[in-house]
Amino acid sequence: MNKVDNEPSRSKWIEWFNPQGRNLEGITFSLNRITGLGLTLYLFLHLIVLGTLARGANAYDNFIKLVHNPFFIFGEFLVVAAGLIHGFNGIRIVITSLGIGVPTEKRLLVVLMAIALIGTLIFAVRMFTA
Amino acid sequence: MSNIRWKVTFQIYRAKGDGPVHFDTFFLDVDPDEYVLDGVERLWAFHDRSLCYRHACHHSTCGACGMRVNGVEKLTCITPIREVTTDGGTLRIEPLRNFPVVSDLAVDMGSLYLRMDQVHAKSVLPVTEAEIEKSPRDWSAEDQQYIRLSDCIECGLCISACPISATDADYLGPAVLAGAQQTGLSKDPALVEIVDSEDGVWRCHSAYECTAVCPSFVDPARRIMNLRRQVLGQRWQGLFNRKGAQNLAVEEVTR
Amino acid sequence: MSKPSVVIIGAGFTGVATAHDLALRGCDVTVVERGDITNGTSGRTHGLLHSGGRYAVKDQESAIECIDENMILRKIVPSVIEPNGGLFIALNESDLAYGEDFIEGCEACHIPIEQLTPKKTLEIEPNLNPNLLLAFLIPDGTFDPLRLALSFAATAKANGARFRTFTEVKSLLLDGTGNVTGVRIENRAEGKPEELSADMVVNATGAWAGEIAAMAGGNVPVKPTPGVMVAFDQRLVQRAINRLNVPGDGDIIVPQRRMAVVGTTSFDVEDLDYVPVVDEQVQQMYERGCELVPKIAQTKMRGAFMATRPLIGGGDTGRSIARTFKCYDHKETQGIEGLVTITGGKATTLRAMAEKTADVVCAKLGIPALCITKDYPLLSYRQYYALPN
Repeated sequence: MNKVDNEPSRSKWIEWFNPQGRNLEGITFSLNRITGLGLTLYLFLHLIVLGTLARGANAYDNFIKLVHNPFFIFGEFLVVAAGLIHGFNGIRIVITSLGIGVPTEKRLLVVLMAIALIGTLIFAVRMFTA
Repeated sequence: MSNIRWKVTFQIYRAKGDGPVHFDTFFLDVDPDEYVLDGVERLWAFHDRSLCYRHACHHSTCGACGMRVNGVEKLTCITPIREVTTDGGTLRIEPLRNFPVVSDLAVDMGSLYLRMDQVHAKSVLPVTEAEIEKSPRDWSAEDQQYIRLSDCIECGLCISACPISATDADYLGPAVLAGAQQTGLSKDPALVEIVDSEDGVWRCHSAYECTAVCPSFVDPARRIMNLRRQVLGQRWQGLFNRKGAQNLAVEEVTR
Repeated sequence: MSKPSVVIIGAGFTGVATAHDLALRGCDVTVVERGDITNGTSGRTHGLLHSGGRYAVKDQESAIECIDENMILRKIVPSVIEPNGGLFIALNESDLAYGEDFIEGCEACHIPIEQLTPKKTLEIEPNLNPNLLLAFLIPDGTFDPLRLALSFAATAKANGARFRTFTEVKSLLLDGTGNVTGVRIENRAEGKPEELSADMVVNATGAWAGEIAAMAGGNVPVKPTPGVMVAFDQRLVQRAINRLNVPGDGDIIVPQRRMAVVGTTSFDVEDLDYVPVVDEQVQQMYERGCELVPKIAQTKMRGAFMATRPLIGGGDTGRSIARTFKCYDHKETQGIEGLVTITGGKATTLRAMAEKTADVVCAKLGIPALCITKDYPLLSYRQYYALPN
């Protein structure tokens, strides 16, 4: 490692996911990126899956049988969690980015993340006890 | 400051010339109410005279002594050792991120200073414009005569903590945008071009690390968001001005 | 014809102001500093832009220097100054008695003062001790130490001066007859030694002036005298507050940004490079501060530090030494050519110290140019970084 590593560079993107020393908003910053990537990946997978429809009812039904195992259900749970976190954090960002409610931003964040967490728990219960 | 003494291990980032970066370890007996900067100074005075670091005022007005202490940005002259470690603990001290290292703990803040001039950030201003102390309606007419140095001490902690500044050298950075916000776009329209840009106010992604580490009550995150409002306000006005000018032009042609 | 070269040791107030003056007079200036700008005493100054009132009774030479330079700095570098004036407050009979001498002294030194009733004083500064008996309004101010120095340095750089920070003078280069011909330095940022020759070396190291002069076998009667400063975390007053009495400990409170800084004390020290903060003195500042501004008792301490003033003295100690400055031409004092030392003084008089030093240096080098810094507006301190070091 040399001194030059202290300067800004694209390769530092990995630091976006380092929670050390971060405050609450900084952690949600990292989470937003992870959930965003996760949701994008899910979108592509979802489109591919829908593509199986084109191959007829059988192909689709076979696929649906496949995804009833716990591994896939957990994956879907992650998608729901990601959607809730990304969505509610997104609401906070949109509101404050327009300069509205910035002094109360911390409270807004805590409330929205609490809603996302509660929502995640509800879905967890429903998905894993069905 | 009393007779209590803690044993604290200091791990100091060292970098000289083209040599490799490494950490040197020192053991100090410290008074826990002393400041981290006092510890660094003693290391230079009594342990290793080759240590380079920046400091000047020792009371949070110059902004020279910013460093990372155990991974978090601190203004070391007002950070008591008690706040960042315990008896027998370790302090890992590194220079601020996102600035070129001159040597050891000293970085070159030239880019920050020059950008502050670019956005005409005010170094002194009427106390009534520093609205965080009191809300505008609590100031009296008398108070307008008083001028004070602005809150921002150009310490660079916000830029070190900002994840965007870590990946983009062209991003103006929280302190600079906060300075532009203080000046105000309606008072200084020339700034609009600078801040309403890819590397200006739109590059921020609401990590709010800047406000979390600012030692000087600037609250850059809030100011960046307010600056966005100012930018949108300017754009909105610009829309009407252009329309107005267009109508005039049409009138002239048809007459 | 090449410009005469001058090496200035020390980038504190004296060093940067002298660099600015000499650069304007056509010298090739290099400033060497072992830390960064205002690394030493200058960085830790109380930040009081003196009106001279404090010295108007006992040290009128200093007082006149202060008021003149105060007015000049307000003109040439307003961007680093809080120009809100100051007050001298009387709290008891002894203070009131001093008031008579104070009025006379200020008049003799052309320091404009205005006497205020307690009621009026408390109107403009509500946090003062409500039992105050009398107050005088004077043109004090506050300045940012680093930025004041950077303003001079930025202007000097723009006019060709070079600043070598993190560069320590290890020894002076001497010719066969003991005259100074340059400096042997170490670039601390890279660990590399180097030699710089110069037509003149200016020792602007303040409290360390004696140590540097000794490198050439020279002598400078500097008496390093540290004092404590305690910063509290609220801007309790808009103006500098002084106790109306003979200069003593803890009798000045200076506002700066959102703080109130109380100072100072005066004692002897052995080791200049590190002066630890003394608890008793911090406590003393707290108590003395509360006498002037009782609300300090409800604020938190934000910082405490020591600063070592370079007093010039023979046998006197601390407060009785005159606060004016002195420029030593070592050719006159010790027969050593090539070295000039400037020390003593106060931050407020930095430009005057530089003028005097530059006059001496230019006379020795045969440079006819006169000083023009009195009316020369300084560049923005941020422009120091516009050119590389």
